[in-house]
Order: sequence, then C-alpha cells, then structure tokens
Amino acid sequence: MARLWNSILRFLFRRPQVERELDAELQYHVDRQTELNVERGMAPAEARRNALIAVGGIEPLKDECREARVGRAIETLGQDLRYGVRVLRKNPGYSSAIILTLALGIGANTAIFSLIYGVFLRPLPYRDGGQLVVLHQNTKQARQSDIGFSPLEVADCAEHNHTLNGVVEHHAMTFLLLANNNAERVATSVVSVNFFDVLGVKPLLGRTFLPSDDNRTSAVLVLSYRYWQSHQGGDPNIVGRVFQMNNMAHTVIGVLPPIPQYPVESDVYMPTWQCPFRSNPHNIANRNFRLISHVFARLKPGVTGQQAQNDLSVVASQIYSAHPETYPAGAGLQIVADPLQSDLTHDARTAFLVLLAVAGFVLLVACANVANMMLARLLKLERELAVRIALGAGRLRIMRQLLTESVLLSVAGGALGLAVAPLSLKMLVGFASRFTPRANEVRIDGPVLLFTLAISIAAGLLFGLLPALTPWLNAGHSLHGARATATRGRQLLRASLVVAQVAVSFLLLIGAGLMIRSFHKMGAENPGFDPSHLLAMRISTGFSRYQDSISQRTLRHNIASKVSAIAGVRSVAFTSNPPFAPAGIIAGPGSQSFEIEGQPASRGAALPTVDLTVVDENYFQAVRQPLVEGRYFTGRDADDTPAVAIVNRTMARHRWPNEDPVGKRVNLGGQNWITIEGVVGDTREYGLQHPTLDELYLPADQAGGATSLVVRADATADALLQSVRAAVHEADPLLAIDQVNTLERFEFDSLTPSRLMTILLGIFAGLGVLISASGIAAVMALAVTQRTHELGVRLALGARHGAIVGMVVRQGLVLALCGTAVGALAAAVLARLASTLLYATSPTDLPTYAAVAVVFLAVAALACYLPARQVTAIDPLSALRQE
Amino acid sequence: MGKPKSDLLQGTLDLLILKTLDLEPMHGWGISQRIQQVSDSVLQVNQGSLYPALHRLEEQGWITASWQTSENNRQAKYYELTRRGRKQLAEEKDNWLRLSAAVGRIVGEV
Repeated sequence: MARLWNSILRFLFRRPQVERELDAELQYHVDRQTELNVERGMAPAEARRNALIAVGGIEPLKDECREARVGRAIETLGQDLRYGVRVLRKNPGYSSAIILTLALGIGANTAIFSLIYGVFLRPLPYRDGGQLVVLHQNTKQARQSDIGFSPLEVADCAEHNHTLNGVVEHHAMTFLLLANNNAERVATSVVSVNFFDVLGVKPLLGRTFLPSDDNRTSAVLVLSYRYWQSHQGGDPNIVGRVFQMNNMAHTVIGVLPPIPQYPVESDVYMPTWQCPFRSNPHNIANRNFRLISHVFARLKPGVTGQQAQNDLSVVASQIYSAHPETYPAGAGLQIVADPLQSDLTHDARTAFLVLLAVAGFVLLVACANVANMMLARLLKLERELAVRIALGAGRLRIMRQLLTESVLLSVAGGALGLAVAPLSLKMLVGFASRFTPRANEVRIDGPVLLFTLAISIAAGLLFGLLPALTPWLNAGHSLHGARATATRGRQLLRASLVVAQVAVSFLLLIGAGLMIRSFHKMGAENPGFDPSHLLAMRISTGFSRYQDSISQRTLRHNIASKVSAIAGVRSVAFTSNPPFAPAGIIAGPGSQSFEIEGQPASRGAALPTVDLTVVDENYFQAVRQPLVEGRYFTGRDADDTPAVAIVNRTMARHRWPNEDPVGKRVNLGGQNWITIEGVVGDTREYGLQHPTLDELYLPADQAGGATSLVVRADATADALLQSVRAAVHEADPLLAIDQVNTLERFEFDSLTPSRLMTILLGIFAGLGVLISASGIAAVMALAVTQRTHELGVRLALGARHGAIVGMVVRQGLVLALCGTAVGALAAAVLARLASTLLYATSPTDLPTYAAVAVVFLAVAALACYLPARQVTAIDPLSALRQE
Repeated sequence: MGKPKSDLLQGTLDLLILKTLDLEPMHGWGISQRIQQVSDSVLQVNQGSLYPALHRLEEQGWITASWQTSENNRQAKYYELTRRGRKQLAEEKDNWLRLSAAVGRIVGEV
C-alpha cells in the first residue's frame, strides 16, 4: 500500500525528473549499443540506426515504460477528462440535451431517495434507536386489530417480562390550556415518568420527568420544542411558568429539543397521574379500559427482537389465562413487539417503494435515450476513431475515453439534478407526512449526496458502456472512405434501446393511468350525505365543565341560537364527530363492543363491535343523511325517556340480515338496553375510500359528547366560518375551537394522499413519455438522414413523398408497438405488487390499458411523423449526387 | 548470424533479470549484454522489452535503481535486488527448475 502511495506521489510531484531519468537511461543504452556497433565495424550513422531499431524506437519504448508505472492510470484519466470536456463543449446542443435528460432522471431519484433515506434508513434520533420496540395488543377482528392496552395490562407486561428494560406507556389526549383568559387546545402526550429516559431524550431547557413527579400533588408539564417556539415565543424563562389545565395548576419544568416526536406531534407532555381519565380509579381497575395507544420498551443488551417476542407471548398467555372473563379465547388476542423503526414507517412502505421504483424506471428510460444519442454520435465519429486506431491508439484506450466522456456527462447531469431536487422536497415532505411521523427528517444531506454521486456515475457507465461495446471499429472500412453505413448489429441495438424505453415508459404511464382511474373512482363515491354548503368545527368544552346532559343541552341551545342568527345559516346541528373531519379520518372508526338482545355471544367468543356517533335531533336533516326506516331522533329523546338508537343500513343488514332492526335492542355494557328506532343511509364519513362499517347513532341527550358543530348555509364562504366561530365564542369564550372548515374542503383533504400519489406518478410517467418520445424522434431523424440516398432513389423512381413519410412512420410505429406490448405485459405483473395503492381498480383494468395505449401510440406516431417530414426536404438529384 | 536462437518464454525475462542482478548491480544495457554472453548468444533479449520489464520490477519493489558512474565514466542507471527481490528470485528459480526438469523428462523420453 505504502509503495502504491509512493508511486502515485512520485507521479504527481516528480514527473519532470522521472521523465528526464527515463530519457537519460534510454539514451545511455543507445549510446553504448552504438559504440559496440562501431567497434564491430559499422559506420557511425548506421551503427546508431541499428541501435535504435534494436529497441524499437525511443518514443514507443518510453511510452511502454510509462505504462509499467501506476501513475500512468491517473495521467490517462486526466487526459481523457480534458479531452472529454473539450469535445462536450464543442457540441453544446448534444451535451446540454444529454445533461438535461439526465438531470431530470437523477433529480427525481435524488428527491425520492432523500425521502426513502429520511424515513426508512436514517437512524432514529434516540440513543440506540435500534433497541427500541413498540408493543401492540392485536385481535383477529377485522375492524380494529390494534386495540391498545389498559393500565393493568401494561403493568403486567412490565412486571413479568425478562427481556425488556423500562416498559413505558403513551397516550394522546387533547386538553384545554388556559392562559391569559384564553382557552387553547393543546395536543397532550400522557406518558410514564421514565418515558424520556427509556427513549434517551435530554431536555433543551430544565428537566424531563423524575420518579418524584408521580406524586399526585403538584402537576408538571414538559413542552415540545415546536410548541415552545410557536405558542410561547421561545421564552427562555418558560421553566417555572404555571398554566391552568383540567382545573389544576401545571408548572412547566422543561422543554424538549427539536426532535421528531413519535407516535404523534404533541404540544405538551404530562405524567400519567395528571390525565383525568388515566387516573380515574374505576378506569385503572378496568382491564377493558384500553386508553393506552403505544407502549415503548428497550431491549435488554444482547436480546434479539425474536427473543423479546417469544418472552412477550408467554407473558400475554399468562395474562389471558388469569382473566378468562376479560379475554375470551375467540378474540384471538396477542401481544407483539415491533422494532420502533418499522412501526413508524409501516404505512409508508408500499407508496414509497413504488415511487422509488418509478423514479428508477425514469432514470433507465433517460439512460436508454442517452445511450442512443451517444450511438448516433459515434456514427459521426467513426472516421475519426478509425484514424486514431490506424495511428496506433489502443481500442481499450478509446473505449476508456468514451466512458470518461459519458461519466462526465452524467455527473454534470447529476449536479444539475441536485440543484433541482430541493424544489420538489417541500411537496414530498408534505406528502410523506400523511404516511409517517418521520417525514420531518427528510432532507438532502451527506448520504443523499453520496447516493446522487453513485447513481450519476453508475448511469454514466451504463449508458456509456453500451455504445463503447458495440462493434464500431470497422476501421479499415471507414478509412477507405466508404460512406459510414450503420451495421445491422448496431441498428438492432438502437431499435432494442427504443423498444426498451418505450416499454418502460408505457409501464409508467399504465401505473399513472391506474392511479388516475382509482382516484377518480374514489372521488366518485357517494359520501351518503350532502357535503355542499356544510361547514364544521370541533368544539371542546374541557373536562371540568359541561359534564352532564342538562348543561350540554343548554350549551348546544346557546350556541345554536347565536349561530342561527347569522344571515345565510339554514340549520345548525351537533355531533361527536363531524364527517370527513381530520380527527376522525386520522383515528378511524372506533370499536365499542356491544351485545345484541337474543344473539348472545357464545362462550369464549369476542363481543361484536361497532363505531359510535352521538348526534343531536337536527343532525340527520342538517347533513341530509336519508332515513331508510323508522324515525330520526327528536327532542323528546332525552335523559328521562327510554334509551334509543339509530343504526346505518350496513349494520342493519349485517346484524339483522332477515329481520326488521327497528324495535330490536342492544346494550353497550351494563343492563341499559337501547331500542333501535330507525335505520339511516350509509355514509363514508371516515374518508371516501373507506367502505362503510357498522354505525350506531345515539341521541345527544342520552349519550353526551356531541359538542362539535355542523352548519348548513346558503353558501359557504370563509367570512361565514369566521362569524360562526365568533358566535360560538359569544356563547362561551372559554370553548376551544379547531378543525374549522367546509366539509367540501375536508373531503378534498381526505383525498390528498391519493391525489399526491397520483400527481407524482403522473409527473414521472409524463417525464418518461417525454424522454422516450424524444428518443423515438431522434432515432427516426437519424434513420432518415442515413437513408437520404436510398430515399432519394425511391423519390427519383417516382415514389410520392407521402408514401415515403408513411413508410418511415410505420417503421417507427412498429418499434413503439413492440415496446407497448412488452410494457403492457410488465405492467400486468408489476401493478399487482402495488395493488394496495389502488381503489376499486384491478391492476389489469382493461379500459385503463386501452386508453393509455391509445394516448401513448398517438404520442409515438407524432414523434415518428415530425422527423419523417424531413423526407419532403430531400432533393432526389442532390441525394443521388452525394455518393 | 546462423546461430540457434530462441524466443524467451513468457515470464522468463523477469527471472533472467533478477538472476543477473543477483551477481552485482547493473545498468540496462549491461543486463542485456550479460544475458546474451552467458547464454552463448542463444538468448537474445529483445531490448525493446527489457526496459518496460525493469520499470515494472521496480514498481513491484523487487529491484531499486540509483545513478552511478559506469565503467566508461558516464552516469548510468544501475539496478540492484531488494530483499523482496531476492525472495522472488528464489521462488521463480524453484519454479523454473521444476518446470524445466519436467519438460526435460518428457522430451528426453521421446
């Protein structure tokens, strides 16, 4: 190794001396040989000549000696680079076309890779993030497989396992924080006191929680960095400030560093005892009170994920067999431990990998295009190369120089692509945040730059190697002045390149087509109510006021009378969960277990579950959800009248397939039997793409919690949103209002992930088509130029221009058709892998394939026709004279 | 000419150079002369391939070069064996002896 360095250093810094020594050494040899020859009786001139012949000439010998040195490789590279830059600068059109094509391909890949790296590959920003696991308690039931944990279950897991250190819990709540007589909704994480210690997070200011904070007397808060910045102005003296929450004074003890927060972005953190629900003794004692959504733990040193899983399975079966009444065997419960890393990115996997594959395909199309352009140029260079070979240049040397040129081009393309990639990053991060909390860690930094450099060089070698390896060295032929004619092999290579890039870009277009169709189908779903001119807002009363049905009724009445007074408001209604509202869409449907009268669950089987929504008596009419049977709620369904409910049509068919559900009774635990009074139409309130599930509606006066507002107006304008909001605060200034919007906009937002995915695929497919269309056009143009003579003969013999244009276009279209066929086959196979991204669309949806083929072939025909028109410019006479 | 002449086997040149330098440090021209004399002019070292071979051996660290005054009072580039070169020579010599003995047995039997 040291020797290698010495050689390189000597080459770099002592070249003149090395050269001088070489000269002197060979000169000495020739002189001595000359002297010897003279001694043997030759004339001095002849003696010298013979000596030179014996070594085969000084200059070639010197070159051979240099070849024996390591530094030689560097020198050659330098020469090739200088030559390459010169050649590329002399052909600016050619170079910039290639660089631009590659910049698009490499830029797209850089952007997508930064996404993949940030989400999947970047180490978690915690101490030894690889040791962190997330526990889930799952059931076999389809509706909601992850049911969370109750406090007793977490305690059991912590106590009985042998493989985990520090089992900590997390659940998210929304509380009202009172500051300056203003109620503010704060996203609150309720965590174990050792939560930050297990994750290994150190505070930016103050401290995190200590075991002594579990004292049940003085409430404390840790603020997230983002909340501290955005709502507390980054106040450096924030530690020690006191806020009112849940009727208690909460003291700020610390601020977190700007780390990504899992599993949710929260404003504040508090220990478990401060959560009014988590600390309620009834709830703590109830094994079915599964409020805790995430349990984190750290693997003990040396423990593998599989060992932890086996250990937890044992713990789980102990828990389940100790309490058979809580855990019916039929529920299929189990506790699983996933690495935190995969848990956080699980939802993003398919979409992101599809994007990566698609970006890779675009780059392949770009490479094929560039390879074709280089082949075409090689054709023009044939004579020059033949001359160089005849003058003694090695073939390997020329090949190396061609490769240097192509890598030079691709690195330039990569640099330009790197400049473009950040422009798309903001959109990509927004897109990623719909799938994973790690989206904020996406940025372009060292590893991404390395990736870009690597794919740039790889792309350069890929498209450079193809032309360099083709049989272009028909040297003698070219030198004799014969017109450079494309050999059959090379024509075949160029044709296959076109077919390949057509196939890949057709595949991309099919992908985009399937996404568009699936998105269209999603948007065309009937929501089951009329979202136009509806607006909604979430209103939170906090946990200290409006706790009984009478005060809630008064509040609703007050708000309704203020809001109804606004001009343009038609009707006002209340619900626990406005349809399409972000909170509901993120959380998904709930799963309240219930019992049907006359259909007792068999021993050991799990109870059926249902999503519950509480609505007031005006709700169904306000959102125009149709009544199928029975009756809507009325103002007489109050806390002193018999308990009633309404089910949706899906539930009616599901639970009472051959009976009339009206009059049937269910109960939600306890002995409070509820009579079903009506059946309403199905809605897709959790997002248009989510099929309707069983839904049970309860009246506001009997169930409570229906405090979110839905308003139907003559027209929806932002001004109206503002005045409704003001009216609510007029009724009670301490209500927290958020998620304010029109239902149409909520609906639009709920489709955003699919829309963005569709747009991204569309952009990539468009790029692919654009690039391969230009590839087809370039190849056809070259074909016409090369065949000028032949076409001239045909014209001279009386062929009409139109017929010749037709012939050229036909030949191009044959290539396009081959590519299309291959692409369609590939699409049929590959689209299946991504079928989870599709909605109600088969991966081999025939109409999509047909439509895409028509569009694609039209573009291909145009790409053939434009260069074929050159034919009309051929003058038969001059074409013939060319020879 | 008229003398029997033999082309050098591939790789033999390295062995001949190393062996020649084993006796004493020598410049390129001297090496070519020495090989020719010792082999009774049977082996004609192609002078065109001698120098690249010397440079290659130097690059490999088997020989080193220094400028010294030659027998005719001029500055010449003298090569000498390094320790690694001596080891290499011993190895190549063994190989060669084994090979030539084997070839000799086959040729002798016919």
